[in-house]
Formats: sequence, structure tokens, C-alpha cells
Amino acid sequence: MIDEPVLFCLHFLGGSAREWRPLSERLGPAARCVAIDLPGFGDAADHPGGDVAAMADHVAARIEAEGPSGPWLIAGNSMGAKVALALARRHEDGDPALAGLAGLVLMAGSPPCPEPMAEERRRAMIAWIDADPETRRREAEAFVSANVGAPLSPEDHARTVEDVLRANPDAWKAWLTGGANEDWRDRIGLLRVPALVVSGAQDGDLGPEAQAALTLPHLARHRHVVAVGAAHLLPLERPDEMAELIRAFLAAPPEEAEAPLLPPAFAALMGSERVNTRLRTTLRERMREPDGPFCLSAEARATLTACLDRVLPQPGPGRIDLARRIDARLASGTGDGWRFVTLPPDAEAYERALCTLDAAARDAHGRAFAALGASEQDALLARAASGDLPERPDGLAPDLMTCWFEEVRGEAVRTFLAHPAGLAAIGFTGIGAGGDEAEALPGYRLTGLNEREPWEQPVLETVGDAR
Amino acid sequence: MNLSGQNRYSTDEVVDVVVVGTGAGGGPLLAELAAAGLKVVALEAGPNFDPAGYGFDETLADEIYWTEERLSGGSTPEAFGANNSGTGVGGSTLHWGAFVPRADPRDFRLNTESGEGCDWPIDHAELVPFYDRVEAFIGTSGPTPYPWDEARRFPLPPVLRNGPAQLMASACDRLGITATDAPAAVVSRDFTVDPSVPERKACIHCGFCHQGCRTRAKASMDVTYLPLAVARSAEIRAEARMHGVERDKAGRITAVIYRSGGRDHRQRCAHLILCAGAVETPRLLLHLDLATGSGQVGRNYIGHVATQVWGTFADEVGMNRGYPSSLITEDYTRPEGADFAGGYLVQSLGVEPLTWANSVARGRGLWGPALTDYLRQYNRVAGIGINGETLPCDANVLTLSQETDALGMRKARIDFGYGSNEDRLNAHATKVMREIWEAAGATDIWVLERVAHTLGTCRMGRNPDTSVVDPQGRSHEVENLWICDGSVFPSSLAANPALTIMALSLRTAGAFLKGTR
Repeated sequence: MIDEPVLFCLHFLGGSAREWRPLSERLGPAARCVAIDLPGFGDAADHPGGDVAAMADHVAARIEAEGPSGPWLIAGNSMGAKVALALARRHEDGDPALAGLAGLVLMAGSPPCPEPMAEERRRAMIAWIDADPETRRREAEAFVSANVGAPLSPEDHARTVEDVLRANPDAWKAWLTGGANEDWRDRIGLLRVPALVVSGAQDGDLGPEAQAALTLPHLARHRHVVAVGAAHLLPLERPDEMAELIRAFLAAPPEEAEAPLLPPAFAALMGSERVNTRLRTTLRERMREPDGPFCLSAEARATLTACLDRVLPQPGPGRIDLARRIDARLASGTGDGWRFVTLPPDAEAYERALCTLDAAARDAHGRAFAALGASEQDALLARAASGDLPERPDGLAPDLMTCWFEEVRGEAVRTFLAHPAGLAAIGFTGIGAGGDEAEALPGYRLTGLNEREPWEQPVLETVGDAR
Repeated sequence: MNLSGQNRYSTDEVVDVVVVGTGAGGGPLLAELAAAGLKVVALEAGPNFDPAGYGFDETLADEIYWTEERLSGGSTPEAFGANNSGTGVGGSTLHWGAFVPRADPRDFRLNTESGEGCDWPIDHAELVPFYDRVEAFIGTSGPTPYPWDEARRFPLPPVLRNGPAQLMASACDRLGITATDAPAAVVSRDFTVDPSVPERKACIHCGFCHQGCRTRAKASMDVTYLPLAVARSAEIRAEARMHGVERDKAGRITAVIYRSGGRDHRQRCAHLILCAGAVETPRLLLHLDLATGSGQVGRNYIGHVATQVWGTFADEVGMNRGYPSSLITEDYTRPEGADFAGGYLVQSLGVEPLTWANSVARGRGLWGPALTDYLRQYNRVAGIGINGETLPCDANVLTLSQETDALGMRKARIDFGYGSNEDRLNAHATKVMREIWEAAGATDIWVLERVAHTLGTCRMGRNPDTSVVDPQGRSHEVENLWICDGSVFPSSLAANPALTIMALSLRTAGAFLKGTR
């Protein structure tokens, strides 16, 4: 629990402190927002801008001037997130002025590594910022529109366009040619401070797969939330949702790496033109933690979570929460088209099977299944598989436990491999069979043994032992 | 497919035929009847998809599978869902493997040959001209000459071999087994057959045949027979789920009731042809108590013995690439010294990851680190599998369960189990596949027991006491009811069924035109 902290807020490239107004209003007393204009932007537009370290200096000075008495956090959107990461490193290195940092909130953040961005787009952005007023306005409008999943309110849109137009062109270019390209990976290393990472399923280069590949590896304690339908300007697009996420984060900061990472090569393929938009968006949305409805009891869910950790162990850091996804699937009532006639409908079968498993644990060890050690859990699962667990009134008969355990193994792997981290783990390149141009899909030119196409190479190499 | 300009019939108009289902059974027939000038309306339970929108993803592909729940019982319960029936304009041809061996002539007179199973009431020779027509129209790729059928000609050269095919080919070569490029209803070159059917581009080897072909290289009905049918004035109604009929005093069907857009519609008709597949066709008949007098509807449900053998290789296989089953041997249609009736075909297998991992987790029984580690071998594994004869059997039956679906129709319950002939065939095939995979250099070999396809339940025959339809597909009991899909199969035949269903579809259309005019 982080009690009524101050939230120092750092805007995106072309934004200003005003970006945070809607979120600030919605956070209310949960956190007091202090939004800062980075050098060269907003009310600080007279400043020519600078590199990441200079921006961090600027923010550190503001924090020191503010002198928060209690804990405080830094929130950063896009460009601001990279500055936040730099400040978190200073905090962990013992900078006394930054001692009170209690957490990071990174929204569509620019990662510690050079930001992935098409050169052409970078050049275009550098060019139009110095163009005639008419061009500048047209491009600024397009820039804002391109970075949201759905149109902003007219007021928010107008204010955001004005912010882009009042940015200092030198600061704009300094980020595009400097700050965004700076490599902070080694300096940032692995941060211990708890972090909330939010990505937009409609974002471009800094969407969920980029966050999972480029930012999460630097955070030992992180929670990754995918905002469906939103893109890059998350505090403006989703102030209510962001406020809710921050409140939940303050109430219970992550203790460990919660979400799975992605190999950068797989994330790059996922973001490339070889992957069609429908698939990319779907894969991104599968990275989101379903928020219900659910149907399993709390005890059954805990047992299922523990069971799945044994059935399909994930090495980590971070893991796909298979139980949560399966619980949501059960509640949705959808299925795979069949079930063993001897088993009751899926949701009931799961509840009763998990009850059987948990009761067997309590009988044998006096503790819940979820509280047992790995070898004790494995022994019980082996008995479930062989139809050797005692029958009980609310449970499943021994032979049905065998059927159910087959079902749960199948559902575990299907859920795992629906997630990009699962596909990456097995070195699957098939997502790259073709993009949006239905008349010119590349497919595979090579299909034979030991034949790799150049675009597959990076993904296959990260898997190492496979292919 | 493009249905925007299609002909429309009023529901009050008595159309000549309502066809239920637009898959391999309904598609060719719809085009034939429309070409003959009949007023035909097809009802398809599923949506009309644009192939360009398929996602190259196994979970997204649920949209083209029939995922309404079926209950599976018996000693070898069959998996449904992704494994079998489809939904959408094109039916299960949207997801079929497009593997198109022709049925072996001997399989049609199995009882005469072996005393086991039953003979078909029609002869292979009668089907040959229909096979020829289907293949020329849908565009099959394969090797000419074809080692096991000198007369067979493929309009297109074979598709590329993939890793599993290369492994199987070299092993077969070493063991003296004849094996060659598979007969595939996938166009290996750009293909145009008729001005009313849009050109289909050559296969791009993406490997996602079972998830819906984005390029239309694979011959599904929506890119072949259905555009032809629409050009000949047929109407196809998507998302139209038949669940009732009206009948006159004589028992003739006068209208079909279907649910669309949340309400019921009534299409008047002179004839009904059910082409909903060997689960939904008998389910409808049982639900409506149609043609059930002989007690034969739902009986003699058959699948195929579809066992697979898997192994791990030193080579990078990358089995998701290319046409999945690109090698075949038909050397085992009548194996020498076999202790069973009938035979089986062997094919190489590349399988997309979810399907494969599901088989590993369920069928191999792996869990724990052994499962995690084995999944990581994905790019080094390859499979080989069979499609084997299954004889009709009294214990294998489709019935209605007490559970109902959203429409209030009782769910189908399918009890299926191997008899001793299937067990012996399976043992023989498993031994052969192991030998081939050992010769190919596979390690960590394991066997996946598996049943595929849905057939039988409304079998054709001359005797109305032991069959549901006559040899042309017409109901013995309801004069204006016909059936044309896999449910009319008296026995499974060793060949994968869809090509034969299409040939039967043309044949039934011809018989219908002759018999009703």
C-alpha cells in the first residue's frame, strides 16, 4: 500500500503538463499529480531541449523543489517514461534527493534501448516541425490523430494539437535525433522499484509486444496492463481506466515480475508488416489480463493456478496467468466443440475436479493443494491422472478425474500457445506468413529441411535449441 | 465470397429445392441444380467469410469450426470442434486438409472381398467420371502419372514438399515403399476454370490450410462451386440455421423453418436436400422425426482410424511451413498378409503448434517439465499418419442427448469405438509407421491414437429396412427429401472422404434432375 503519494507526471513528445489534467481530476485524493513541462515543451518551450540526462536533471530539480513529505511516484507517457526510468536508476543508486521514489507508472513508454521507429517516419517528423504554419498544423493534427485508438474529445484534441505546435522545434528534434536513440540499457539494468506498465493494443511501435520485449526485462517487479482499443496517448485516451489501474497499483504494488517477457526478435516480427493487423491486434489483446466475468470459486481458482504451474511450468521471469484465462473462458460458456459424455459441462467439471484435488491434499497433508510443495502436488496430480483419487460428494469420480486431467492439459497448452510468449518460446515463425495485402502475401518460399528464410532467422536464433 | 449481386427468392415462393449446408455435399449439387435452371436456395448456418480476413491463427480459426458442443462417448471417443465439422459458407471445406486421394475400387465391395463390413450399392467405375469432373473444376495438384492409378491425371503439378514429406520420402525410398507427392486440392499454379469463378492464385505455402486459406489457393466450396452456383442464379443465405420443416398430409415437406437474425423464417419448397454432414444431418432428422421409421438414422456412425506417429529429428523441420500433408503412399490399401479387411493410406504430417501441442498434452499424456521441454522441440518434430478403413458397427451410433442447445435442439451424442478389425488395422499401421520413422532417423517416437472425420448415420442402400436413403441419395420414407453428405457412406473407405462426397454430390444432382422431372 502506497499512501496518498505525489505522482510526478512526464508527458510525451510534443505534449505538456496539460496532458495529465483529465487523469489528475479522476485520481482525486488517491494521488496528487504534479505534472511537469519537460525542457522545450509546454510552458518550458523557450528551452532548446536536451538529452535524457538533462531532462532527468530538470525533473529531479522540480521534485527537490516540491519536497514531497511522503512517498512519491513518477508517471511517464512515451518520451516521459524514458526520463522516469533514468530517474529510477538514480534513486536506486542512492541519490538522496530521490530517496522517496515508491513506484513507476510507464504508459506506452519509450524503452531504455533506442526506440524502434521507422527511419522514414523519423525524417518526416523532423522535417515538418520546421515547415510553414499551415503544414505544421496539418501535420500536428495528423500526429495526434495517429496516436489515439479513437478520436479524443474536441477540447482534448485541440489542446493537444496546440501543445505540439508550441513545442520548441529544437527540443522536438533533439528527442528524435538524440534522446530517443540513446541506449540506456546497461545504465538502467534491472530496477527493483515496483512498476506499472501500460500499453495500448492499437499503438504503433511501442505497443504491448515492444513493452514486453524492451521495457519489462529492466523491471524486477512489474505489472503489465494492455489497454484494448487505446493507442499511445493513454492518459488522454483512458483517464478513467488509468486512474483505476494506478489506484490498484498503489493498493497492491507488484512483488515480482507478473507478466511474461517476449524475446525482442519475436516482438519485432510481431510488429512487422509480415504480420496482418487482425492477428497482431489479437495477439496483443491476448496479452491483456482478462478482468472477468469469472466463474470459479476463489478456492478452485487458487487450486487451478497451482495445478497449472505444475502441468505447464513456465520458467519466467513473469508468466502467462493461464488459470485466469481459463476461468474467463469457462464463464463465457464457449468451448472447443465437444466434451466427454461422462463429464459434466466444463465449468462444473472444473469446479468439482478442483474440489476433489484440494480435498485430497487436505486429507493427505492437512493443507490446501495450493499450499503444498511441488513434489506433493505432483504426486496428487499423478494420482488424478491414473484415476486414483478418492471420490467425494462434491467431486468427480476417479475415472472422470482422468478425463478431466486430460482436458486441463489440453486447455493449458492451447491457452499457452494462443499467447505470443508461448509462440515465441517454441520458435514459431508462422505468424509472419503474411500481412494485410491479401493479393501479395509472401507465405514461405522455402519449406524444406534446414531451410531458413532471412526474416525467420532472428526468431529461430533466440530459441536456441529449436530449429 | 461475394454474394452481393446474387439472385433472391421470396420465402413465399415455392422454390424447387432448399439445400441445407454448403460444404462438400451441398456445394457441387447446388451448382448443378442451378445450372439446370432450378430455383435453389441454400441455407448455411455459419457466416459468409472473406478469405482475406482469415488471421493465420489457430484460435481465430475457431470461427470456421463447428464449436457447438457435442458429447463424445464409446470406447474411443472422437474429438470434434477443430477436428471435424465446419461452419460458414463453404462448410467444412473452409478448414479441410484438401488431401484428395480417390477411393480404392476394392473398398466399394469390401464385403464381397472379405466377408467383413458391407458393399456399397454403387460401383467405383460409376464414380470415376464424377471424380474427373470435380478434379478438373476444383484444381488438383499432384504427380502424373500417379503410381497407384494409371488413369488419374492431375491438372496441376505437385505443390512443394515440406520437411515431414522429405523425411518420409527418403525413409520410404530406403525401405522400398513407393511414396510420392500427395494429391492435393490446392492449386500449385494460378488457376482459372470458369469465367464466373474468380481466378485463384498459386499456393504460398503458408501452412494454414486448416485455419482457412487466405489466398483461395485451397479448393473450398466458396471459391469453386458456390460462385458458379450463384452465377447460375442460386441463392445462398448465410447465418440461416435450419431447425424445422412443415409437411403436408402425405408427409411431403412443404417448407423449411430456419432461424436468422434472431427470428424464424419459413421458406416454401418442393424438395429438401440435407447436406449438413454426418452429425447435423441425422441430428436434424431425429429432432424432426423425419425418415426415422426404419430406425436407421444415427446408426452406423463411422470415422477413420487416424493414428499418427511422431518423432524428433536432428534436422530443422519447421513443419508448419508448406502444404501440411505433401507426401503419400497408397502401398497399404491391401497390405500383403494383413489380418484385417480393407486398408489404409499413409501421409506425412506438418501440424500447426496449438493442434500439435494439444495432441501432445492430451494424447501423449505429458505434463510438467517434460511437457514444457517437449513443446520447445516444435521445430524439430515431424509426423506421419494414416487414414484407415472403419467398418459399420451396431455399437457406433449417434443419438440425441437430454442437454439442449441455444435453439432448444437436443445436443448430439456420438458413441464410437473400434471393433477388432480397426484394432488389427491400427496395430499393423502403427508398426509400419514406426518402421518408416525409425528409418527416417526419428528419435523419441510416440504414437497418437486418433479418430478423424464424421461419416455414416444415414447410409445409402437398396433395402429400406437397413438404410436411410437409396443409392441416389433419396429418402426411402419421405418422397421429397434427399441427403447428400458423408452421412450416406455405408463404410468409411480408406480415402479421405471429401473428394468422394463432391463426386457423390454431382452424381446425386444428376439423379435428382432425372428422377424429379
